[in-house]
Amino acid sequence: MKSFTLVNPTTLDGALEALADAMDRRGRSKAALLAGGQDLLTELKEHLAEPEVVVNLKGVPGLDAILVEGDLLRMGALATLSAIEAHPGILERAPALAQAAASVASPQIRSVGTLGGNLCQRPRCAYYRLEEAKCIKKGGAECFSYSGRNKYNAIFGGGPSYIVHPSDLATALAALDASVVVLTKKGLQTTPVERFFTLPSEGSILKETILKPDEILVEVQVPLDALARGSAWSKFKERASYDWALASVCAAIEKDAGKVKRARIALGGVAPIPWRVPAAEALLVGKALDEAVIAAACAEALRGAEPLSENGYKIPLAKGILTRVLRGLA
Amino acid sequence: MSATPPFPGAGYPDASLLAPAQDSAPKPKRTKKIKATKVVDGIEQEVEIEVEDAGGPEWGARETLKVLDKDLQRVDGPVKVSGRAVYTHDVRAPGMAWARLLLAPVAALKIARLDFAACKAVKGYLAHEVLEAEETRWLGQPIAAVAAESSEAAEDCLRAIFFEWEARPAVLDRESALKPDAPQVGRRGNQSKPSVRGEEAKARAAIEAAQFKVSATYTVPVVHHACLETHGAVVDWRGGDEATVHCSTQVTFGFAGDAAKILELKQANVVGVVEHMGGGFGSKFGFGIEGEAAARLSKGLRRPVHLMLTRKDEFRMAGNRSGSHIEASGGMDSAGVLVGVAARAHKHGGLGDGSLSGLPYIYKCAESWSEISGVRTNLDASRAMRAPGHPQASFATESLLDELAYAAGLDLLEVRKANLDDKVWHRQLDRVAREVGWFEHANRTRPGSGKDELCVGIGFAISRWGGGGGPACEVEIAIERDGSVTSAVGSQDLGTGVRTYVAAIPAEELGLPLSAVVAKIGSTRLGNANGSGGSVTTASLAPAVKHAAWNARQAFAEVLAPLLGCTPADVVFVDGHVQAAAGGRKLSWKQACAALPEAGLRAKGTWQAHLQANGVHGAQAAKVEVDTLTGRVRVLHMACMQDVGLCLNRAATRSQINGGMVQALGYALLEERVVDPALGLQLNPCFEDYKLPHSLEIPKMTVVLDDEDRRAPIGMSEAPIVPGGAAIANAIHNACGARIRSLPCTPDKVLAALGKVS
Repeated sequence: MKSFTLVNPTTLDGALEALADAMDRRGRSKAALLAGGQDLLTELKEHLAEPEVVVNLKGVPGLDAILVEGDLLRMGALATLSAIEAHPGILERAPALAQAAASVASPQIRSVGTLGGNLCQRPRCAYYRLEEAKCIKKGGAECFSYSGRNKYNAIFGGGPSYIVHPSDLATALAALDASVVVLTKKGLQTTPVERFFTLPSEGSILKETILKPDEILVEVQVPLDALARGSAWSKFKERASYDWALASVCAAIEKDAGKVKRARIALGGVAPIPWRVPAAEALLVGKALDEAVIAAACAEALRGAEPLSENGYKIPLAKGILTRVLRGLA
Repeated sequence: MSATPPFPGAGYPDASLLAPAQDSAPKPKRTKKIKATKVVDGIEQEVEIEVEDAGGPEWGARETLKVLDKDLQRVDGPVKVSGRAVYTHDVRAPGMAWARLLLAPVAALKIARLDFAACKAVKGYLAHEVLEAEETRWLGQPIAAVAAESSEAAEDCLRAIFFEWEARPAVLDRESALKPDAPQVGRRGNQSKPSVRGEEAKARAAIEAAQFKVSATYTVPVVHHACLETHGAVVDWRGGDEATVHCSTQVTFGFAGDAAKILELKQANVVGVVEHMGGGFGSKFGFGIEGEAAARLSKGLRRPVHLMLTRKDEFRMAGNRSGSHIEASGGMDSAGVLVGVAARAHKHGGLGDGSLSGLPYIYKCAESWSEISGVRTNLDASRAMRAPGHPQASFATESLLDELAYAAGLDLLEVRKANLDDKVWHRQLDRVAREVGWFEHANRTRPGSGKDELCVGIGFAISRWGGGGGPACEVEIAIERDGSVTSAVGSQDLGTGVRTYVAAIPAEELGLPLSAVVAKIGSTRLGNANGSGGSVTTASLAPAVKHAAWNARQAFAEVLAPLLGCTPADVVFVDGHVQAAAGGRKLSWKQACAALPEAGLRAKGTWQAHLQANGVHGAQAAKVEVDTLTGRVRVLHMACMQDVGLCLNRAATRSQINGGMVQALGYALLEERVVDPALGLQLNPCFEDYKLPHSLEIPKMTVVLDDEDRRAPIGMSEAPIVPGGAAIANAIHNACGARIRSLPCTPDKVLAALGKVS
């Protein structure tokens, strides 16, 4: 990796200042934010990121807090994945979130990897991750996966890039109607998780979120309502021990007298953003979760998928895991 | 049983020559000369007489063994698990420079400019060497090496090289290589001359006339050795007449000469060291481009140089197991007998020719024909990899056999036995079948329907290997006056447990516990040893260790006989004591050693043909669960039965077999080198994307050592990697009817084979 200067602020203001200092006159940043480092390190080693300044957030106290305040879950950006997966309040009132955290990578990585880092991590597309492949995500002209090897790429929302977003927590949080809190020069801004992530056809092709280089994601808030309590998660990994999602599902169901009152479903591993499936959600409302209804919802969830040459299997696979998650919530 | 063609790996012993039967012809009686006491004219005299060598070096009855054939903890286990073992990677020498390689980023290129001005300006720069100045022919071909004061500075230097190039036409896959107008990979063309066995017309006629016929194409991918320690060397030369060279290699005696030439030293003054090494699997023969580059940098700098490949470099330039594309046809009669097999196959070994055994591999067949040629591409040459050519042939053969058996409606286990004369495989197949529950399994003659969400299936496959040894090793046993014992030979330990049996064999011979003997290995300062390839090490080394230990015991008995009041032949070494066979005075080992002269005792040993054997058999069964909703394959149980002759260390042998099964599981379900043919890039040159099995993939594993085999020790480490891939693929089909003819059997292929992907 390229040498850099490590800055260790002890306050969020100090961190913001360090980020501001690292902006050049054309508004480009020379800095990278360091939390658990589990994604940043891989970017540095492959020279995908070559920051001159690395701003270490770990010296800022309190950013790793997990608080349950009435019906609101507040998680600091530095909360580790292992803390989230083991938190009693989360296990009880938003089980899918704990399950999603537990499905990430390996125990070693989860013990240092953070909530903020997980949401802000860069894509795992093989072309993106190889320095030699100057792909569209790295300022090149082409998304090589489109006509190349695309087994792990998107079946929804692709074009001009066909990455899938790698964050498992993003998928779970989208289904749980969570919000992210971003610290900007003007103060704190709260945004629904779904609007935090951007499709390549909407936002900048060079990034995956609305976060600007001089801003810091500081907190995630999850409403601990009946929907969250009735949530479940499933992630399919090609290698069970340690892998990214070929597809994942988070479903949150609120029932009334055996019938679905409210439903939120997000798919992961299939699109450049956490992929909500509103038509499938609507189909469930007012019905009991029997096999016929589940089959219809699965068909609806995957309707309109546009597989590439090697990833058509993601359609039956996503249906398969969604089937199981809904059965579990029936 | 049909013969296997020789393996093309450089310096690779032909392990295909199987010993005839397990009960080999009786050996002629050996004799030996011993000194005996004889009373002549009332006076005791020492005379030399010739006697039948009943007490010569023999392994002895299994029941009497106290150290060998037991579960031994590895003598180097504690230093390895505590991180104290010094691998080549870990070597640090005073003033050592750190080196890195610049590799060709694409498959073929012409170098336009290679300028080191900026590189030299990097803080910490020390030296560079140009390895290729004009053009390259393969992805990952080394172009230059740089050395610097730290590994970080070496990387900065590498990136500061101004390297301008133009891509040359290249081919990266079989299809493009075989096109008539394809760019030519080399002067020899893109396809090697086929090796042909049998007569095609006869084989095809036999298949045509057969009651049941199957034709199918089977493919296996290029996979990697994935050694946990990458390739590389530390060349410790600081000027002067002598050097020490550490290298992560399978041949301790295979690189000091190359280093000496580059360093312009006498080979006698260059010591080669392989103290510990982290896996080779066939990829680590010789000094390599990386070792030579380290030596050249050291020569220029007059300083030690550390050059170990990065993981990404390792994937691109350190070899692979060749892939194959096999078009096969087979015919079977109603009794399950293979009547004809025909196969036209291509091997994908990059610039190398690859390896593939002919079909039907181990099984007998009246009329078989194989035509095998290599298809060359602009990728690094394949190297020998654990059982070269066998896992590929096993997958195609065992799949074809299963497909024929189902066509004929026959029991998969019985069909195998019907095509194997050697009863060793029969008993092994029956045993592994019992271990995984075959006889209670429903799908013995037809596959499951795949209608259930979770389906369980079982598959079988077999293996064989040579594993015999040859003369090479020179072992020295030293017994000191304080009772310490050293067993020394230069041999490397690939991780198989060599170091442990180098100590265990003399411990057995001298009646001592394993802990009483220190093994010294891994240096050219010690006695000669062969390279470890083709599973020849055990059968080459163990007899020499045994011979040295026996010689030591004989010599020690000469010293002790007068003290114990018996003849040397009557001295008994048991349980840490020495005593005359008839009883009487008993000395502890320490007391006995005190009788030695100040210099202690030294004894040497060399290879003894009768202390080893050749030709192993193995059978494996795999039980899997297929999730038909997702395509997930979970291996539930793998069972292996393997003969090994006398087992020197049962724990280490089981561990080798477990390792073979895990590697086979990776081959079956996960591993594959993924290349983008248009860009000429490998897309998974890292352990994140090149998916090895981890802890959650490991099934229940049962290893049964075939103790009916009463032969002397035989090498067997290649054999257990052979059958697992085929057994798992067959088990998937047996579970749910999804026939996957292309490894690895990933969920996308399972779902496609189940007809779920539109």
